[in-house]
Amino acid sequence: MTKSQKNRIGSIVRYTLLTIWAVIVAFPLYWMVSTSFKPSEQWFAWPTVYIPDPWTIVNYLDVWTDRQEVATGQYIISAQRPWIAFGNSLMIALTATTLSVVYGAVIAYGVSRYRVLSEVRMFQLLMLRMIPPIVIVAPLSLYYSALGLLDTATGLILIYFLTTLPYSVWMLKSFIDEVPREVEQAAEILGAPRWRTLVEVVLPLVRSGIVATFLFILILTWSEYLLALLLAKTEVVTLPIELSKYQGTTEGRVYGRQAALSVGITVPLVFIGLIIRKHLARGFSFGMIRR
Amino acid sequence: MSSVVAVPGSVAPAAPREVSRARGIRRFKWAILAPLIALFAGVLLPVLLLQLYFSFHQWSVYLGSWWDAEWVGLDIFKEVLTDPRFGWSIIRSLAFALGSTIGCFLIGFGLAYLMHKPFRGQALYYILFIIPMLTVPIVVAYTAEMLLYDAGPINDIISRIGGVEHKVPFLTNPDFALTSVMLLEVWNWTPFSFIIMLAGFSSLPKEPIEAARILGASTWRIFWEVQLPLLRPVIFLALTLRFLEAMAEFPKIWALFQGGPGSATETIPVYIFLTTWQYFEVSKGAAMSYLVMMLMIVIVLLAIRLLRREKHAIDAMTAAASRTA
Repeated sequence: MTKSQKNRIGSIVRYTLLTIWAVIVAFPLYWMVSTSFKPSEQWFAWPTVYIPDPWTIVNYLDVWTDRQEVATGQYIISAQRPWIAFGNSLMIALTATTLSVVYGAVIAYGVSRYRVLSEVRMFQLLMLRMIPPIVIVAPLSLYYSALGLLDTATGLILIYFLTTLPYSVWMLKSFIDEVPREVEQAAEILGAPRWRTLVEVVLPLVRSGIVATFLFILILTWSEYLLALLLAKTEVVTLPIELSKYQGTTEGRVYGRQAALSVGITVPLVFIGLIIRKHLARGFSFGMIRR
Repeated sequence: MSSVVAVPGSVAPAAPREVSRARGIRRFKWAILAPLIALFAGVLLPVLLLQLYFSFHQWSVYLGSWWDAEWVGLDIFKEVLTDPRFGWSIIRSLAFALGSTIGCFLIGFGLAYLMHKPFRGQALYYILFIIPMLTVPIVVAYTAEMLLYDAGPINDIISRIGGVEHKVPFLTNPDFALTSVMLLEVWNWTPFSFIIMLAGFSSLPKEPIEAARILGASTWRIFWEVQLPLLRPVIFLALTLRFLEAMAEFPKIWALFQGGPGSATETIPVYIFLTTWQYFEVSKGAAMSYLVMMLMIVIVLLAIRLLRREKHAIDAMTAAASRTA
């Protein structure tokens, strides 16, 4: 066998295997999107309907707009609820993420330049993330109810801030480590205060790293489920919780509407994720992998 | 804010410059850490103390105010440790985490190996392959229900391929449930192993591989004897982080099964959830949480020890890779 034949066979094998996995990845996504465009009689049809016929946007209208038909069916939902949940999710995720990244950047700078946390302490910080949150939720909810934080956006923001801090500190440290120190030393010789050096010299240099960290943590807070379920589910409803409320309704399974809501939750995240696709490995590995 | 700004020389104009600089740095360090210490003291510490309190005082929501709960010593821990359901939930969690970690890793590693050299369409495959990781877990769960229910499309496809009508009870048969949710976890998180391993492959030094090729080693031998040993720290990182995340998996199992059918998918998080929020045995839940926390601390400390060692290896590797780049 010649070398070019070998290469061709290798190439065929590669494309075959990759395409098999691509189908496995794409089919559930396709199913979610296509179900969201199916009229209700095709949600459970047997034999299965693979392509919506006819296509309809009625599920989206039912979920995301105030349509009259929704109120007249047996299954009554307030069509504004998804938007309220969307607003809650957006507000909570943005606030918690901003806090986490701002404070994370300060700690990361301190660790990178002044070793405010030793390496052991840095790894201990990871514990905040590595121990399953379920083990502290019950006492946390009692503590929150004593403080009046239960079922409030503030409570969720606080705990998201705390639990995403390890990610932002580690990820931002990996970016700040790459900035040469000479610039700061110059600033110090010129007599600039340390905080000003941080804000006006260092942070602008890691701007793209800050954006990547921000978007990465936004993904984590946007999709969080357990804490949102147990610390805030009646007054403050986030999108994942709103979606789970469609499950146990009297009308039974409403796949089309669930799918329409799912698409609404997923599209922003996929969009964000693709923007920072080069930094995802760094994020998920706490900055230990730097590309 | 302005009180913590330490301008060298302005704090104590009379003191020598070096002393004031050191003091300025010390203040700066404490200013950085103060909010973190406040967060630990104000949120984490009270929560851990409360949990300890409930582990030793019998209380459930039916029993009046929690601060009057009765001291029962180690009774609750005894109850938990003799509860076979608790033991099974630990075993299930470990099985789930191990199984899904290995699944994610093998597929992720394979994909990374196939994709670490440039080829046509690489970017497109990459984009498609990372999407599952960007899908909200709860969405994965409900989409899986649409796909896997008895008359769903997966069963339809199986029937068409097999020619006979099969209705595999993915979600209703206790023997299948844990495997089904494990497969979902693999679908959801293979991208994680994939991107980590892809980064690992791309930071491999070129020289040893080139040298081995010149010496006439086969691709197979280069893979086993050069690439794999060099990749060990990255492999370890991918496995550990995924395992720890899988131990905490809750949304998919809860949304699809609530621990059922029977108790087939009752992992640690699910059992703690049920005990605390459905049976309202807060004390039992707290004691279980404590034990699980201890178990996880042991696992995490072990992982951290190894991660610290591997991190130095990874740092050295990426530094070398960026020097040659």
